[in-house]
Amino acid sequence: MTDDPFAGAPDAPPQGLAFLELGERLRQRGQHAAAATVALSGLAHYPTVADAHDLLARVRADQGDDSAASRAWYAALECDPDHVGARKGLAFVAFRSRDFAAAERHLDIAAMQAPHDITILNALDRLRGLQPARAPVGTVRLTDPAGGVLLFDMQGMRLAGSVREVADVSLADAAAAEGAGLVREAARVARMLDLGTVRHVVMETADAKIAMLPVSRDGALLIYRSSATPLGRLLGLAGDAARAARDWMGSSS
Amino acid sequence: MTIDQWHAALREVTGVTGVLGALIVSAEDGLVVAETAMEELATADVAALAAALVMRVARCTSAMDAGLPQTAYLVGDRGALLAVAGPAPLWLVAVARNDGELGRLRLLMRDFADVLR
Amino acid sequence: MRVLEPWVAEPLAEFLRESSARLTLVMTSAGQVIAQHGFTRSVDVMSAAALGAGILATTDELARTIDEPAGFGAVVHQGERQGVWLSAFDTPRGRWIGLVVFGQESSIGLVRLFFARLAAQIQAAAPPLAPVRDVLAEGFERELDNSLRSLFGSR
Repeated sequence: MTDDPFAGAPDAPPQGLAFLELGERLRQRGQHAAAATVALSGLAHYPTVADAHDLLARVRADQGDDSAASRAWYAALECDPDHVGARKGLAFVAFRSRDFAAAERHLDIAAMQAPHDITILNALDRLRGLQPARAPVGTVRLTDPAGGVLLFDMQGMRLAGSVREVADVSLADAAAAEGAGLVREAARVARMLDLGTVRHVVMETADAKIAMLPVSRDGALLIYRSSATPLGRLLGLAGDAARAARDWMGSSS
Repeated sequence: MTIDQWHAALREVTGVTGVLGALIVSAEDGLVVAETAMEELATADVAALAAALVMRVARCTSAMDAGLPQTAYLVGDRGALLAVAGPAPLWLVAVARNDGELGRLRLLMRDFADVLR
Repeated sequence: MRVLEPWVAEPLAEFLRESSARLTLVMTSAGQVIAQHGFTRSVDVMSAAALGAGILATTDELARTIDEPAGFGAVVHQGERQGVWLSAFDTPRGRWIGLVVFGQESSIGLVRLFFARLAAQIQAAAPPLAPVRDVLAEGFERELDNSLRSLFGSR
């Protein structure tokens, strides 16, 4: 694996997890078999350490085994849904297989978790430059806990998905509660100012672009992306998410 | 920016195709600070409702730990309300028909909000 | 919410829902409390009604003094956490007064907007005019007493 922005920089290993540093050194020297052995033996002792899965994934990616790398990075995300390195790694393997939409989705999520990481923003720019103007917007997964898509009902209860986590605390329930209030407020504003039925509300902050859109009488979505995401792209994702949400609600009822 | 410059900016925003009116609103009390609008637009109502929307948006971004909102756009079937933060607690607000130049309006409002700040 | 006149209930409920007001008092200028929301003690209603009517009467006098024939539409007091909106409006049953206490979940603009609708809806819903009654100082107190008994029972 190269030092390309997609490659993901190694994070400092936690105290007492010296095998991470050793494995990374071996990997960088090109001693992939030894690095894999170190990573696997470390994982045998520390199966819930995301960095250990990340190390194994990087070794597998260097060995050209992208499917094994992907499995290891998804395992890292199961241990730590905010693991930026795993997201960057998944973006890398998606990019290498020319699945640009998936690469962009992973980088979008990484950018949410590390909004000031210039390597991610540069990679996103490069990726967008490579894609045709009418590229598919990718798959929206309501079940992805770090997918940045939250479906909630009008009582402010979370139905599926999640917007983000901060310090291991999910903000989904709070976002759902406030999202329902926003849906009601938007409907009132639209009704009283004769703006018609609400299509969406877009909110921009220094770090994020967020869209809220009603998907039925009983449900609405919040889509959370980094501030680097173009507005049109956000709305494209929102449209996809709305379709996924309607399917989900149809199959759940 | 002086009051005269505010009004000049509001007139320019109102000059965008499809815009029914533009106003500077105090988000804390929902009142109009300055306005330029067509007669049919009840600007006092717009100010009250835009401020309520902005407050709701702020609660929503806060719940997601995303920071303070800088813009809020409500797009409906027939029209849109665009709000861009100026110096707290002021917001630049415009109401437009849906067949208007919403992209140009958004950019123009962001420029003016930067100057207002 | 408690109301003496049933036809006030629906407009007032809408006002409370839309404005998020914390406390609301609707009364005649003679002191008869027509409806209230949020007050738990009759003594508070009595104080608020008397003070609110007094403030509006004072403001009307001020308007006359400075030659403002239309008077002032409303009086607003904005505190750090709460605000008070006071406004009189004409109904087929005479001049009524609204007193609204609102917090940070609402705003002056929202109260203004939905109070105007409340006034318009009450005007439209009011049954034919009742006989005109005297508006005297002692009458104010008696009316207030009577209406409080009706609103709060015999407490």
